[in-house]
Amino acid sequence: MGYDAMANEASVPAAISRDFGKKKKVNRSAKLKQCKLDARREQWLSQVKNKGCMDGSTGTMTTSPSHPKMSLPSPGQGVLGSRPRKMLPRVEMEPEGLGLQDSGLDSPVQSPTPSGNMQRKDCSSTSGSSGSSVGSCSRSVSDAEEDRQEEEKGEDKGGLDDWEAVADALSAVGNHTRTNSDSLKTVVDSRMYRIHHSDTRLVVGATRPDANRTIPRAWKPDDAARPQCLPNLSKQLSFPVNIERHFATSGWHRQAIISAPSSCPICVEDFDLTDSSFLPCSCGFRICLFCHKKILEEGDGRCPGCRKKYDRVACMENSVTGTGLSLPRRITRSCSMNSRS
Amino acid sequence: MLDTTRVQKELVECNRDTAISGVSIDLHDGANLTHLCGSISGPLGTPYEGGTFIIDIQLPSDYPFEPPKMQFITRVWHPNISSQNGAICLDILKDQWSPALTLKTALLSLQALLSAPAPDDPQDAVVAQQYLRDYQKFVGTARHWTDTFAKIATVGIDEKVSKLVEMGFPEELARSVLEAVKGDENAALEKLCSG
Repeated sequence: MGYDAMANEASVPAAISRDFGKKKKVNRSAKLKQCKLDARREQWLSQVKNKGCMDGSTGTMTTSPSHPKMSLPSPGQGVLGSRPRKMLPRVEMEPEGLGLQDSGLDSPVQSPTPSGNMQRKDCSSTSGSSGSSVGSCSRSVSDAEEDRQEEEKGEDKGGLDDWEAVADALSAVGNHTRTNSDSLKTVVDSRMYRIHHSDTRLVVGATRPDANRTIPRAWKPDDAARPQCLPNLSKQLSFPVNIERHFATSGWHRQAIISAPSSCPICVEDFDLTDSSFLPCSCGFRICLFCHKKILEEGDGRCPGCRKKYDRVACMENSVTGTGLSLPRRITRSCSMNSRS
Repeated sequence: MLDTTRVQKELVECNRDTAISGVSIDLHDGANLTHLCGSISGPLGTPYEGGTFIIDIQLPSDYPFEPPKMQFITRVWHPNISSQNGAICLDILKDQWSPALTLKTALLSLQALLSAPAPDDPQDAVVAQQYLRDYQKFVGTARHWTDTFAKIATVGIDEKVSKLVEMGFPEELARSVLEAVKGDENAALEKLCSG
């Protein structure tokens, strides 16, 4: 897939990424990290020493359980599209162990060039270098974005620097879909905003396309793998999402509500709950209960819309039957709340 | 009690697109919503073309459950409109009225009545007879009545124009503004002053 292309691109942006890496290193809690890195390196070196060059391969083999998460996704998950995003946070979660075993260097961002990597190449795999090159490539692509996220994550993930590269390796493949999903996310957000502040007809119009879209869906607030950097939307979501589901389950009512007027055409008063579920005539002409009563008692008893005589019995039944009323009632309440707010 | 909410809404609704529909409603006197004054422009291609017909509208207290009482103030030569008192024979103003109809739709119906007389169900028997027996003569009379009675606003407009010119307004502008406000001198002056 785009694997080769990215490996080629890697050569140019690698320098840039290196700069970024150094800068961050200075900025973050460098001492603590350096300490850890040294410890890890000693561990790794002692492993190599003990097992020799032959065992060097096993040295990398030990890292292999974690490797698939970084290197495999690139060719494989690009096809799946939505998976890289799910993988991403997991990789971010286990920063240090993976990174140090993988590169075994003071400055992991520089991993493609120095000797440690050369050794590994000699021994067996190319997966390390390819992974990191992909990483640097993606860094160039999504530097700004990642930097912003890092700012938000704060200092507590100090050892994350190198792991951003690895994470980028994953995101590079799914980068396209990811930016898609980001934009989708903002779209959804703005929709939520509109749901709050405007007519519910917009809700119907806006929520529908989501179901048909092939683009991976945006993060749900209860999603286990949801990145922490995303703002917490659960409170904002809860209300509109309910409406959304409500509408989704009751397509018929949605139709009925939208076509219905919001006020009585006779007295121009706004419909209340009972009025909006009141269908006095088969022609579909809606009026409020007051006007209906007046027409029946003082007027000629004909529907203003079609001039047919009102069927008094049917009208009474219509207004009394409760089965069809519960759903539209709830919807209309939410409608009116929205339109009035 | 008259439903003032609805009437007010109707007035706004009707006067929103007067230029297109050719019908408008104004208050007859002050804040009294039960007495209105409608006007319709004569339909093109009829002997009533070019005329502006004023209709007196009285709203019963039961409106919109009862039809509005409408009557031509402007004299019209039409089979379904009394040449004497302007009474209108139109079903929707009587038994076919529906609360779903509005003043605007009623005025539009009157406009349609002008362009499509129904001599078989006449209000004015003389006019209806003439319409059926000598259509050309009917057209001539109707046009004459239109010119005579329905264009009152233009009669003496020159006088008003010259008055405005004396005040220092250009003649063309004064004339166009006067026509726009249907010959109302004061309204024209106000409009000219406001720019």
